[in-house]
Amino acid sequence: MIFFESVDKFYGSHRCLTRITAHVAKGEVVVICGPSGSGKTTLIRTVNGLEPIRSGRIVVNGQDVHAPKADINRLRREIGFVFQQFNLFPHMTVLDNVSLAPRKLRGLPREQAEEEARALLARVGLAEKANVYPGQLSGGQSQRVAIARALAMSPPVILFDEPTSALDPEMVGEVLAVMRDLAGSGITMVCVTHEMGFAREVADRVWFMDSGVILEDASPEEFFVAPRHPRARRFLADLRHA
Amino acid sequence: MGYTLDFGAILSGEHLRWLISGLRLTLELTLSSWVLALVLGVILVLLRSSGIKPAEWFVTAYVEVHQNVPLLVQVLFWYFAVPELLPEAGRIWLNERNSEFLLVMLALSFCFAAYMSEALRSGMRAIPQTQHEAGRALGFGYLRTMQYVVIPQAARLAIPPLINYSLLLFKNTSLAMAIGVHELTTQTRQIENDTFRTFEAFTVSTVLYLMISFVIMAGGALLERRIKREGR
Repeated sequence: MIFFESVDKFYGSHRCLTRITAHVAKGEVVVICGPSGSGKTTLIRTVNGLEPIRSGRIVVNGQDVHAPKADINRLRREIGFVFQQFNLFPHMTVLDNVSLAPRKLRGLPREQAEEEARALLARVGLAEKANVYPGQLSGGQSQRVAIARALAMSPPVILFDEPTSALDPEMVGEVLAVMRDLAGSGITMVCVTHEMGFAREVADRVWFMDSGVILEDASPEEFFVAPRHPRARRFLADLRHA
Repeated sequence: MGYTLDFGAILSGEHLRWLISGLRLTLELTLSSWVLALVLGVILVLLRSSGIKPAEWFVTAYVEVHQNVPLLVQVLFWYFAVPELLPEAGRIWLNERNSEFLLVMLALSFCFAAYMSEALRSGMRAIPQTQHEAGRALGFGYLRTMQYVVIPQAARLAIPPLINYSLLLFKNTSLAMAIGVHELTTQTRQIENDTFRTFEAFTVSTVLYLMISFVIMAGGALLERRIKREGR
């Protein structure tokens, strides 16, 4: 579903992704973890072209995202993206946030788009918040709406960029519950997160990154029980002591 | 007191008709210039944030020129100089029509487009880049992200300065007098010449200008309140 082929990225002279080659199969849930500054967020943002790359290829759903002729707007409709800071549209109701893309990009009539949006809101447990503005939601609720919005175009792939990092601890659970539910639905999921419990329970594979390189690509059992790379061992030990 | 006030001479018969036609022209000028200025202002601000360097330079220069040259000079420029630049056919076309109105309308629109684009730009700069990113990540292009996500939010922030500029635009329609458009100020002068009731004539037009200004301000306040109730 997603192929990285020798992807390089630089910020100025700083090399932040180094020859990333990896593959996410259809329906797979991949969790990317690693210390901050390791390139996790940068990597996930290259998948839908929010970050340009220097060289290499990223193929999503058979289409080269960074090809000069790629219709990036069309490709992005097939790739849901959930931001750390939710980035809901504050001037629209929750319902409009979720139904905007289907209405304007898929040309659905308002009633149908809203019906679908309500179903998505029900799925993330926020049916009763449809007519509220984002300013009146808690962080956890906002992120659940953002997930519903990302799902509105029925993308086969959804990307999460540290979806729980901006939340108060007591709200992390509700967002993870939605993501867990989603992981069981057959959608392809790539998730940057520090929630190791979630990774262990839900991920099919864990990628451990450091300094712009994927050091380890393993099943959760392998990764958490017997990480091969010393840097990964140290990372997990630090997490346990935290 | 050697002077007896007589508003009757102004508020009746032919003079009242002059006043009303002047008021109507002032309102027409305000409204048409306002709409065109806003449309141009939006185009300018889109050009300025387009990332195309020459377009950005053009808009910067445009704004500087229009904000720093007296509006009266701009009006005279449009009326006397611009038609000279037109080909023969264009000049004939203008002369056959109500060209004073059209040209002063363009002068006001082009000038206030500069102010309005600045008001919109400061509103846009207050919208975080992440909002733009969220629109793009859904699959909207640059323009549609602007249309659905950035501009509606920026417009809300830009409303107070936009109301000020609308008021300023309304008041500056009186400059049309310089080129003989029969708007409210011109008509007031005419009535004054005709009746020698200077004090009364200008009092009446002052009251009319004030009333319309109040309507614009009240409309603006209402709009602001309604927007504050929604969201954020």
